[in-house]
Amino acid sequence: MEHDLVQPTMEAIRRWSGVECPNPAARLGLADMAGLIADMAKLRGTMVFEDEPSSFELALRDCKEPGK
Amino acid sequence: MSDLAELSMTEAADAFARGEVKAEALARACLARIDAHNAKLNVTVRLDREAALDAASAADHARAIGINAGKLGGVPMMHKDMYYRKGKVSTCGSKIRKNFVADKTATVLLKLDAAGAIDMGTLNMAEFAQNPTGHNAHYGHCHNPWNLDYCTGGSSSGSGSGVAGRLFYAALGSDTGGSIRLPASICGVTGLKATQTRVSRHGVMPLSFSADNVGPLVRTAKDAARFLAITAGHDPHDATSAPEPVPDYEAALTGDIRGMRIAVCSTYFLDGADAPVLAAFEAALQVLKDRGATVDYVAAPSMPAIATYVSVLSRVEGAAIHANWMRDVPQDYAIHLNARLFGGYAMPGHYYVEALARRGPLLKQFVAETLTGYDLVATPTVKTRVPTLAETDIDENPANWSRFMAVSANTRPFNYLGLPTISIPCGFDDRGLPVGLQLAGRPFAESTVLKASDAYQRATDWHRRSPLM
Repeated sequence: MEHDLVQPTMEAIRRWSGVECPNPAARLGLADMAGLIADMAKLRGTMVFEDEPSSFELALRDCKEPGK
Repeated sequence: MSDLAELSMTEAADAFARGEVKAEALARACLARIDAHNAKLNVTVRLDREAALDAASAADHARAIGINAGKLGGVPMMHKDMYYRKGKVSTCGSKIRKNFVADKTATVLLKLDAAGAIDMGTLNMAEFAQNPTGHNAHYGHCHNPWNLDYCTGGSSSGSGSGVAGRLFYAALGSDTGGSIRLPASICGVTGLKATQTRVSRHGVMPLSFSADNVGPLVRTAKDAARFLAITAGHDPHDATSAPEPVPDYEAALTGDIRGMRIAVCSTYFLDGADAPVLAAFEAALQVLKDRGATVDYVAAPSMPAIATYVSVLSRVEGAAIHANWMRDVPQDYAIHLNARLFGGYAMPGHYYVEALARRGPLLKQFVAETLTGYDLVATPTVKTRVPTLAETDIDENPANWSRFMAVSANTRPFNYLGLPTISIPCGFDDRGLPVGLQLAGRPFAESTVLKASDAYQRATDWHRRSPLM
């Protein structure tokens, strides 16, 4: 039986993005999203208020080999 | 020289520089291999035969009158069909861009031109670089030279298959989730993804701008070192390219790795790995230990978060880039590609921001967990044995989805982390398909990654083995 996530997600994508579900494989892919939602739920609370994307380039420099 | 096609890129370049071989002979050796094997492998998209021979002849003439040809002088190459050259078609492996003519030339191509490389044309690839297996519904699947029924790995499928098949000496690939390292591992060649921002992406088809990387598929670590030295560095046309100085990577290849410390993550990268892959991986670690490195198993508690966020990042960025075509011409994509893109539109915006915002802190955490006290992290490049084309064909059977996605489980995390990572051949599975060893270092530590890889290749001959096609 298809996951109950699939139909409302297809409708949301159509309304928000104007993209129609292209094929059965895409429906299967959407069902897989349940796993991703569960994985993201496990990470709730880990993001710090001040975290921001630009910290990545800084981290690249900060994590270089010692002395380099 | 008996078989010019068996030379590595640096061997061919150095032989030309010493006057031991002519560029035209190198080009004709490659063209002969292409004529003999391309129909089986389906590697090329556009072969510029006459232009390549003309360029080779010009290189020979220049050398004869004493002009320095450059560090890649006279060496024939072909590149994934997503590197733009002004006035030439770049299909990006797609029907949508089958007639797209570029109005600029990629910085990396200009650098290779300046180093004397001979560009023979473009290579098959996954449509818009968006699959890890090398399937292509529009130009035909690429085939693995070790066994034509098996996938090549993707998305740089033609690059991996062609270098392994000795059709040319080097090829550009691109790597957003493993697209250099997967075909390198699966076809039995060497593939390097440098630190995120290390190589300019100007004039290169985008997939996921946070995680896209430019890099080579070649035969040896020495080849990769020279290729990277030529292509790396800041580019005023790519504001994201790093200003870090480019060292002499080849000078680091001393073969001496005594005292080098290598970490193996005890979870995630080995979870569910097939026995033949584990056996080859453990044998590779023993080789590194025999050469003086130490190997320890360490925990990496940050891996679940990294694996989750990388899925969000590339899918959302890919969906955004393709939104117009997904609305207007979805039927022009292969089934597996528009299926994959479709899910990206379901991701909440705050998931995407969280994935980006957590990237820096998670990089620091991963480095603290695995690279504090260690120089490198080692993993198998692909956990499973190489799958057949049929086993991973989603267009034929959507139920193959999980097998298809599992191919890139060990490579994707390093795109999120931005770390320099290489795949080198380390054996064969029980079906005779190659196995790859993946080594990752700290940001901008490509010299360390290449040094260990070169030391490994001095002690083994996996990278020298040639498929019997």
